[in-house]
Amino acid sequence: MDQALQLLFTGIGIGSVYALVALGFVLIFRATNVVNFAQGEFSMVAAFLMVVFAVDLALPYWLSFILALGGMALLGAIFNLGVYYPLRHRTFLPVIIATIGASILMANGMLAIYGPAPQVLEGWFETPGIQLGPVYLDSQYLLIIAVTLALVVFNYWFFEHTMIGKKLQATSQDKEMASLLGISVSAMIMITFIYSAVLGGLAGILVAPILFVSIQMGATIALKAFAATIIGGFGDVTGAIIGGVALGIIETFGAAYVSVPYKDAFAFMVLILFLVFRPQGIFGERVAEKA
Amino acid sequence: MSASENISTPAVARPTPSIVRHLPYFAAAAVAVFAAATMTFDGYVLNILMQATTFAVAVFGLTIVLGLCGQINLAQAAFFGFGAYVVGLGTTDYQMNFWICLVAGSLLALAAGALLGMSTLKLGGHYLAMVTISFQQIVTLIMINAIWLTKGPDGVSRIGRPSLLQSQQAFLAFCVAALAIIGYLVWHLPDTRLGRAMRAVRDNELAAGVVGIDVVRTKIAAFALSALLGGMGGGLFAGGFAYVSPDQFSFAESIVFLTMALLGGVASPIGAVIGTGLLILIPEWLRFLKSVPGLYLAIYGLSVILIIRFMPDGIWGFVTAGYDRLRPRQRIAIDAPPLQLSPATVGGDIVLDVSQLSKHFGGLKAVDEVDMTVKRGGVHALIGPNGSGKTTTLNVLSGLYNATAGKVMLDGTDVTTMAPHLRAAAGLGRTFQNIRLFRSMTALENVVIGAERPGNTLVGKGDAVALNQRAMSALNFVGLGPRANELISSFSYGHQRLIEIARALAANPTLLLLDEPAAGLNSSEKLELHELLKRIAAQGLTILIIDHDMTLVSEAAQHITVLNFGRRIADGESMAVLRHPDVVSAYLGTE
Amino acid sequence: MKLTRRDFAAGLAVGVAAPYVIGSAARAQGATIKIGMVLPVTGSAAEQGKFALNGAKLALETVNKAGGVLGKQLELVTEDDQTTNPGVVLAFSKLAAQSEIVAFLGSIRSTQVHAMAPDVLKLGKPMAIGGTDPNLTKMGNKWLFRFRPNDSYSGSVIADYGVNTLGKKKWAVLHSTDAFGTAGGKALTEGLSKLGVTPVIDQGYSNQSQDFTPVVLAIKQSGADVLGSYFTFENDLGIFARQLRQLGVTIPWVGSPSIVGVSSIRLAGATLHGTYGVADYAEDSSETAKAYGKAYRDAYKLAPDNQSAWTHDAINVLAKAINTAKSTDPEKMREAILAIRKYPGAEGEYNFDANGDGLHGYNIVKNEKGNIVFDKHIEAAQPT
Repeated sequence: MDQALQLLFTGIGIGSVYALVALGFVLIFRATNVVNFAQGEFSMVAAFLMVVFAVDLALPYWLSFILALGGMALLGAIFNLGVYYPLRHRTFLPVIIATIGASILMANGMLAIYGPAPQVLEGWFETPGIQLGPVYLDSQYLLIIAVTLALVVFNYWFFEHTMIGKKLQATSQDKEMASLLGISVSAMIMITFIYSAVLGGLAGILVAPILFVSIQMGATIALKAFAATIIGGFGDVTGAIIGGVALGIIETFGAAYVSVPYKDAFAFMVLILFLVFRPQGIFGERVAEKA
Repeated sequence: MSASENISTPAVARPTPSIVRHLPYFAAAAVAVFAAATMTFDGYVLNILMQATTFAVAVFGLTIVLGLCGQINLAQAAFFGFGAYVVGLGTTDYQMNFWICLVAGSLLALAAGALLGMSTLKLGGHYLAMVTISFQQIVTLIMINAIWLTKGPDGVSRIGRPSLLQSQQAFLAFCVAALAIIGYLVWHLPDTRLGRAMRAVRDNELAAGVVGIDVVRTKIAAFALSALLGGMGGGLFAGGFAYVSPDQFSFAESIVFLTMALLGGVASPIGAVIGTGLLILIPEWLRFLKSVPGLYLAIYGLSVILIIRFMPDGIWGFVTAGYDRLRPRQRIAIDAPPLQLSPATVGGDIVLDVSQLSKHFGGLKAVDEVDMTVKRGGVHALIGPNGSGKTTTLNVLSGLYNATAGKVMLDGTDVTTMAPHLRAAAGLGRTFQNIRLFRSMTALENVVIGAERPGNTLVGKGDAVALNQRAMSALNFVGLGPRANELISSFSYGHQRLIEIARALAANPTLLLLDEPAAGLNSSEKLELHELLKRIAAQGLTILIIDHDMTLVSEAAQHITVLNFGRRIADGESMAVLRHPDVVSAYLGTE
Repeated sequence: MKLTRRDFAAGLAVGVAAPYVIGSAARAQGATIKIGMVLPVTGSAAEQGKFALNGAKLALETVNKAGGVLGKQLELVTEDDQTTNPGVVLAFSKLAAQSEIVAFLGSIRSTQVHAMAPDVLKLGKPMAIGGTDPNLTKMGNKWLFRFRPNDSYSGSVIADYGVNTLGKKKWAVLHSTDAFGTAGGKALTEGLSKLGVTPVIDQGYSNQSQDFTPVVLAIKQSGADVLGSYFTFENDLGIFARQLRQLGVTIPWVGSPSIVGVSSIRLAGATLHGTYGVADYAEDSSETAKAYGKAYRDAYKLAPDNQSAWTHDAINVLAKAINTAKSTDPEKMREAILAIRKYPGAEGEYNFDANGDGLHGYNIVKNEKGNIVFDKHIEAAQPT
């Protein structure tokens, strides 16, 4: 029982990381109908920016945090202009491949700039964690879980109760209609990319103290976040978060009670089961093409 | 699939397969094989050539699935791995014959591809991308962790080659020969029935379904063929390198395969060869950048983005685009008899019997308990104001939507739950309000696909000559015979309409559904359309037409059914229905 | 900036042609004796690749300052292996095609050596390797020479130290499921069984795991009182160490060389304090090791480790062998290498056996608050 509680906590913690990255996927998918295969690299780049500001330049943690996220906003904008925007009238296939190219470029560009050595980034808190009865709560995981919860609330407020959020919603549902209503679709897509890059960056910065900052960190997280997105239902914000957390838990328990070496396989097994039996995910609705 | 099926097709724009006419190809291939067998290479060049040749076979698979059929496959490296591991483990641990292993590995890949396809190809798009990625990841994990089976990360070394081709160079020559033969088959696949079906599915899935193509089966076939070529390439790769390990078959490699196909141009096997060659060579050349780790892979990533941006059809597409514009299309006239229509008459007087048909979208009753009978041999119109449920009714009739309730009998057969292609086989033909032609094909090819409808009794055994004649007859019938070999994009909107009708007519349907055929036509085109409808009806083919043009409807149709808010509000002889007070108010109310 | 498709095509053509032009210009070279080296410049082990190159270059300088070999300067020709097996095969074939290369430095990763081995055998020139899978020198490939002690020694040394020095009998064995980890785990289990001990838990994990909670809990539950580990990647080691301590497992821990690697110490910090590691390179283990450590620090401002020490020794030994053989004939070089006895290298004292293994013992070192302190050297009684 104690063991199960500990596993549950870790599962939720790691799952929240998947959820944060999955959220970025979902937002871009809803706005552009494209899966951004470079989403994971946003996390990696942000973590490295954090190392540059907080470790190399020794700036205060909060300032580094703001600067890193600002850098991510810029990167999101560049990404949109360089990768998505020129291809916006093409089918999803070339766009997917361009994002794959972007992911190779970002990972290896960072390798070229910063070198291959993994870096250490301290956590937000001095205390590494607290012992609560039989369960040890890692403070960084606690922070990640709290941020995820806060984002659920924030996203709800943002998309349902702010004008810009509503405009974003309208754009993702029907671009033609939105532009008839006087909404600038390209501005909305730009905002989406910026927001997704910041979200991905946030995930990267939060998880860096646990997984260290390495070139490979983005790819590993992104694949799981993908799976989370499908499980939750593509295009659904709540679904992405629940999918991510569910995946984290499944994986951790699968490793503990079935097999450690095949830990990564559980995510994909669950994914394939979902795709075969419930492709619309937990929350998604099935949409058919109109004749 | 056999390439010989089409050997004597005359007059299609695409060059016709003919072993004799392609002698230069085989001569060039023979020279390449000879060169591979006799030139002296150092080990490095030999390795590069071996890699390029075997990879190209796998990339051909992507030419089929992605280029021909428009489906994504991000697991080609996994299928490649299947072939490689079966050959690797088979020839070492189990001491089996190389050829048996190669065939077994290819078949295993084929089976895996087919299974994977069956489970998810209904979804398509991003789901397919995801499922193939997941499959890829699982295969990689098994290769690494199932040490008892795969030897784990150490990989399998000392893989055997066939006794005749013991030296690496002899084996390379064999691989080049295999590449040439497979390339030839892939080159001509688009002109076979299956190839046409794949192109139709890629160009327009919905239209492919209603002209009688089993969309899901076609996709599965494309996917399975792609996997088969992946496995075959992998088997040859294992023989060539004598060593395989899991990291050769990772997701990253699948991306490399995909990039190879796109870089060269996904439309042609020549593109596949170019892309494969370049992507194997470019990183090798860029190694002079190695002093900065990551730099050359970063450039590689950047190049992928730029290629997608500036060369959407790949290098080969870029090269051929200019040439295609200059080259005059071949125009060989086909002697085609006047179009003959002989609709089946199984079910007596009533061709279409719709009873209590409903279609609900959530709470919205788009079609609500509609009854309608269409008598044989006339023009029946279905009219109603905008949003009255006409098009939804047509979509339910042709199987694009599943009926929520009710029953549809076509010529005595219950088609209520059938898929679109089965309804087409049962004798249903249709056109679309927003024209759905196969845009990458010529007018003739479009109509040939129509003529290929399963159950079309007027094309004999369906050989190429008969199909072409039938298609030509249909094009002549709508007055576009002389332009048969032009691409769809060169036709005016009105002419595209006519091609769509010709496509439906070539299939010799029992009932023809026309969805707003007059929409977007000018007045003279409308007159021509009216004439055309008369000529069709004169041959005894029953037409169910939806249109807004009351002149056309009242003149052409003998019988009218009127819908409003998804319900039938009037039905009967044309003039009587148009004077019906409910009909008048429904129309006036909306104008 | 307006970039048309045509411009792009032209640019692509220039880009494709450029390497040929550049390559042909750089090809005129003088009379040197060349040693080929495959190393990871890109990919997940790129960092270790840099260390390996550092060590080799240091030795190269020494050799050339002392007059080179056979009166010529020694030159290093490198190829990137991309940290993958196909990459290493391709990189090696590229080097193998250059007939003026007389000997090679292979990989520190066993799986890569496995991948290259058939081609090395075919080429028939000596290759120095750092991969520690015991099988590598037992496959009948006479051209592989190992410059690190193999895992059958590390396994028995870890077992010996834990059982005899620390006096622990309830063992938890943890290893990566890759080739290195699997072979290491097996060697440790065998080493233990010779001492009459069966591990209470033998757990594998796959590389690049993001979380080790299930593994730590399993170790905790097994009641083990000592942990022996084979980690491949320092990232994984760092994450595991942190979680191990967080979940309150404080049993003694004796790890494979990666536990005392520079990256591990930097990444894991305090969580590795008090652990033991077997190290083929330990700075205080000998005078040569000390001297090497100093030279390395002076040259690169980095702490020396085994990644660089073995390539350093390999270059020195190859140079010595060529000078002794007075020839670069492969067979003669091979005989000269096999004849080497009591050669003091940074890694230890080289005594090549018939299999081509140069070292047969390990140092046990302890991590004392981040400083690696030499504890003792254990020479394996007999090669297994």
